[in-house]
Amino acid sequence: MSRATRHRRSELVAHLMTWLCAGTLALNLLLITGLLALLASEGLSYFWQKPLWLLELADGKRALGELYETENMPDPRVGEAPGMRVRVKVGNRDVSGSDFRWIDEAQITARSRPKDAVVLERLEWGNFYGFLRELRANGQPLAQGEDAVWSRLGSLLREKARERRALEAVEKGELGRINYALERLRLERRKLALESLPAAERTLREQELSREEAKQQAAYAGVAARIEEKRAAFVAETLVVETADGAKRELPVGYVMRAIRPNALGIAGVAKLYLSRIGEFIGGDPRESNTEGGIFPAIFGTVMMVFLMSIFVAPFGVIAAVYLREYAKGGVLVRLVRIAVNNLAGVPSIVFGVFGLGFFVYLVGGTIDRLFYPEALPTPTFGTGGILWASLTLALLTVPVVIVATEEGLAAVPQIAREGSLALGATQFETLWRVVLPAAAPGILTGMILALARAAGEVAPLMIVGMVKLAPALPIDGNFPYVHLERKFMHLGFHIYDVGFQSPNVEAAKPLVFATALLLIAVVLASNLVAILVRNHLREKYATRSI
Amino acid sequence: MATTTAPTGSARVFLSVGALRRRHAVDLVARAVVAGGGLAVIGSILAILVFLVVEVWPLLDSARVRVESSVPAPAPGTRALLVDARHTHAALLGPDGVVRVVRLSDGAPVLERPLLAEGAPEPLDVSSSLSGQPSFAAATRDGRVALVPVEFAESFAQNAPVVTPRVGDAVVLELDPEHRPLSAFSARLAEGGAAAAAQLANGKVVLVREVETTNFLTGEKTRTAERAALAPAPGPVTHLLLDRRAQSLYGALATGELVRWDLTRDLGAPPQVAGPAGAPVTALELLIGDLALVVGRAGGEVEVWFPVPPSGGAEREGVLERVHTFPPLPAAVVLLSPSGRNRSFFAQDAKGNLGLYYSTSERVLWTGASLAPDASALAFAPKGDAVAGAGPGRLVLAAVHNPHPEASLRALFGKVHYEGAPAPAFVWQSSSGSDDFEPKLSLTPLLAGTLKGTFYSLILAIPLGVLGAMYTSQFMHPRLQRVVKPTVELMASLPSVVLGFLAGLWLAPLIESKLAALLLYLVGLPILSLLAGALWFLLPRSVRGRIPAGGEVLLFMAVLAAGAVLCWPLGTALDRAVFGGSLPNWLYGATGLRYDQRNAVVVGIAMGFAVVPIIFAISEDAISNVPSNLRAGSLALGANLWQTVVRVVLPTASPGIFSAVMVGLGRAVGETMIVLMATGNTPILGWSPFNGFRTLSANIAVEVPEAPAGSTLFRTLFLAALLLFALTFALNTVAELVRQRLRQRYARL
Repeated sequence: MSRATRHRRSELVAHLMTWLCAGTLALNLLLITGLLALLASEGLSYFWQKPLWLLELADGKRALGELYETENMPDPRVGEAPGMRVRVKVGNRDVSGSDFRWIDEAQITARSRPKDAVVLERLEWGNFYGFLRELRANGQPLAQGEDAVWSRLGSLLREKARERRALEAVEKGELGRINYALERLRLERRKLALESLPAAERTLREQELSREEAKQQAAYAGVAARIEEKRAAFVAETLVVETADGAKRELPVGYVMRAIRPNALGIAGVAKLYLSRIGEFIGGDPRESNTEGGIFPAIFGTVMMVFLMSIFVAPFGVIAAVYLREYAKGGVLVRLVRIAVNNLAGVPSIVFGVFGLGFFVYLVGGTIDRLFYPEALPTPTFGTGGILWASLTLALLTVPVVIVATEEGLAAVPQIAREGSLALGATQFETLWRVVLPAAAPGILTGMILALARAAGEVAPLMIVGMVKLAPALPIDGNFPYVHLERKFMHLGFHIYDVGFQSPNVEAAKPLVFATALLLIAVVLASNLVAILVRNHLREKYATRSI
Repeated sequence: MATTTAPTGSARVFLSVGALRRRHAVDLVARAVVAGGGLAVIGSILAILVFLVVEVWPLLDSARVRVESSVPAPAPGTRALLVDARHTHAALLGPDGVVRVVRLSDGAPVLERPLLAEGAPEPLDVSSSLSGQPSFAAATRDGRVALVPVEFAESFAQNAPVVTPRVGDAVVLELDPEHRPLSAFSARLAEGGAAAAAQLANGKVVLVREVETTNFLTGEKTRTAERAALAPAPGPVTHLLLDRRAQSLYGALATGELVRWDLTRDLGAPPQVAGPAGAPVTALELLIGDLALVVGRAGGEVEVWFPVPPSGGAEREGVLERVHTFPPLPAAVVLLSPSGRNRSFFAQDAKGNLGLYYSTSERVLWTGASLAPDASALAFAPKGDAVAGAGPGRLVLAAVHNPHPEASLRALFGKVHYEGAPAPAFVWQSSSGSDDFEPKLSLTPLLAGTLKGTFYSLILAIPLGVLGAMYTSQFMHPRLQRVVKPTVELMASLPSVVLGFLAGLWLAPLIESKLAALLLYLVGLPILSLLAGALWFLLPRSVRGRIPAGGEVLLFMAVLAAGAVLCWPLGTALDRAVFGGSLPNWLYGATGLRYDQRNAVVVGIAMGFAVVPIIFAISEDAISNVPSNLRAGSLALGANLWQTVVRVVLPTASPGIFSAVMVGLGRAVGETMIVLMATGNTPILGWSPFNGFRTLSANIAVEVPEAPAGSTLFRTLFLAALLLFALTFALNTVAELVRQRLRQRYARL
């Protein structure tokens, strides 16, 4: 073999192998872009109102709904060309039992988009797809026929929305306060029973409690009567609707959140609807065991938990890093500690969860309960998962991240700066406080942001130490002491897991999960991006300074 | 002296003695705070390890038996003994057939009642039973068996429990119509009625069962005794033992073999004889669940036997086999007392040595001297938390602290032969509906699941991460590197719950229906890459020259995407042409491989996706930090770029790549959410890529919320966490040390 051939051959091999490597990188990037594109398209299309199609079927029946996807019929008979089938969201869960339906394309004889078809977003049972027939007030007809009903519906819905908010305000506000007070009184009574007191004082205190209780009970009765009254007014107007198949339903107007005629909406109308739905998603409460409505409590829980965590993690992480970098005498021990801290970032998060459960919840929480809340036992107060324990667990999980980043920031501060400060007579603390820490601030910030991003996306340990699928109350409310650190909370990540895998109607809830996932990913990626930018900026700044 | 020069206002304050002192003090305080706080933070992090160990430790603790009370025995020669659940009273049956109940706090007699009618002669033999209804039984000299229920009724008076012992009326069953003495007997009281079996003087074995019949006119229930002769055993039996529901009768032959009559079928069928022969049986008891038999022998042997079903044929009856053997006691085993809560039991030998054993884990939990000197009766308390022994002089009650008998290194990691199983196996099954269920806590299937998930994800992640990093750092223009690197690294922060959700709800159904397309794509990937390379080569030089090195990746992405789209219909066509429309079905038909929708392939892809950025980032670091003089030297000597990369750069950076793989491995081992959501979480052993599995981490997430604090399951889950901790810590430490050495080497080069 000549030298030239050999050379050419090795060149060819080099090219081929390089291409293979390029292929793997391309696959990497393709997967990443594909994943983001999938999440974005699925998550964002959840809010988009599709047109309503009225399908005439071969068996004489009709179906009304949004077309979702078309695929080959499964298991075609051998030799036959496979037919297509289409997945239609037909809604009307109360009538048909499920939201989605597969329809064989061969069965469809005609399709149209009637202008007067409506979507009713309801408080219960998901969407209704059909036609308006009649509006009634206390059983008496108010309006009849598509357009007459439609024209009166808009203002009525706004009015009902106001009433609904007022009702909710009373139920959650006043009634919630009274319930809370009653629960406190019950605990007071138990506490009294546990205390050893002279008999005279005991009766005195008991009478006091009874008086207070009677007062609250009276207030409760008053509020309950008011709610009853409002509720009666709330369901006075009813709407008679008809499905595509001709089945008639009557439902209170108050239970309709929104009425839409998708086929009559222009592009501007659809866009407005889109934005309003996003607003509802972010600011609203979940409905129908989390498969509908908004995710506000989950966002709130995530933010509050992360906020609490940063209160714990920032000072301790920074102090530990400062100790390691500025105060500790270098040596084997410090090196070992540094390696250990580094490695802790790689310990599985579930391990931290187990630790949090055993240590914070059962040991610390259980002790607190025995010492300070004996009246509530055996119902645990702090001896069960809660937002405080969750944020402490996550603080432990993320403290290595902060330590490592802060150390990096401290290391980037030139030694000359410290020596200059010390030479001018400043003490070590003054040097640290006035010179080193300000210069290292971007590093600390990077660490904090990375810790926040990690905490926001972490689910496994929180499943053990305090997350629930549906928290009855937010950890902050209007009842003394306003911040309830022992309460369980909702979390975006757990919301995804729970709705996607443990809800009764996964298929209908999937788009919502996509939207939640998109939101979570957007938050996490954005904070990471900020951290990376800050870090790059920091590196460049110090790279130029040291020259 | 305040100041020497004429300072400005602020400096004067700064340099005054008081201020200096104050600054010094602040500095000292700060030093103390930082040092204390820093050490505390680091210490508390490391305390995690300590805490986990402390929680796990009690698993391997042995049991403790502590004497609580010792009172004079009411009469010598106690033959049978029962204790109530609160350990306040003990009921004793003497050889004279009299039941005596004494208070354990002071030994005061509470109740005395003869078991047999007044004036009857002394019973021949007596026994007691805790299972079913606690009862005493005695065989009379005239071939009858008398059974009395012993009840300890609990009531509450002023929030304090009061125990009232009651001895019920005797149920008398006639076993030998000819009124000869019985040579061996066993009797039980149960809900449906009493049952007794005995060997008559002529060697025949008979069974008498009370049968409840309801008069359908009056609704009145009457009990009638049914008598049946059983098929004879091959030889005379020395012991007989009836189970609680009177469904099996066990016996011991004088040769040491065991026999078993199945009472649910034809009573005339010959009993099963199980060998091997050995020392004569001296004690026989059934463990909770009525399946396993504890056998004590004359030589001190302690054994557990149970019917082992043949593997596969579930309908065939199991054969009684000796499954567990324990270290023998010094002398003949005379007393056995099983727990009513779990599979632990006490055994005592003729010389007064007492031992506490656990059947399944084959653990000897405790050994010591007999509770009372020359104890002739032994009884486990109903809740398994105390044991009583009665000798001629004393009646002694001891508390038994025995929290985790089912855990042992063998039970947690080895194969264990569970009752009713055909063979020893690795099983994880922590809970079930029934009371006599025994938890099966083998961590081996979970470890195997962890390895399986890790393996399949690394298969994907190593090539993607390492080759991608190599290409990025060696063949790409720095300007492109600055975009590509953070993009890939950013993916490391992708919440795993999102990946798990996509894998479980989007990818898994997709792969199930398009498995052929996926396989096609995997095979086609290298071809597609080469195709893209060729396409790139065909572009005119002027176009290529304008694009920075590495820009061709865009072209590659386009070709790969087009290939993916193309594989879609191709895969469907292949499916239909070769595999009859569905590859999973075909696989099952052709190879017997079961296809789960959520399987190792799905997890491999999703977890691979999570691991790629980690491997990519660390190997990219290692590769780009290879000193440039090495590269330049190689290129200057005439090697082309590929040769330089493969022969010079990669070998130099290989420790870094190794450490990248280690860190990636650590991440995959501990990943929880992806596995939880993308597998079926079935704790099975097996390496098929199309089956699900359960990992240590997912197991913790699934089971911890239901595990009561302090229980064996709880501590076992802590052990799983400890294992994960140790595993990842070790992997990361190795990786870190390798990296540090590499850094030093680079510095020298």
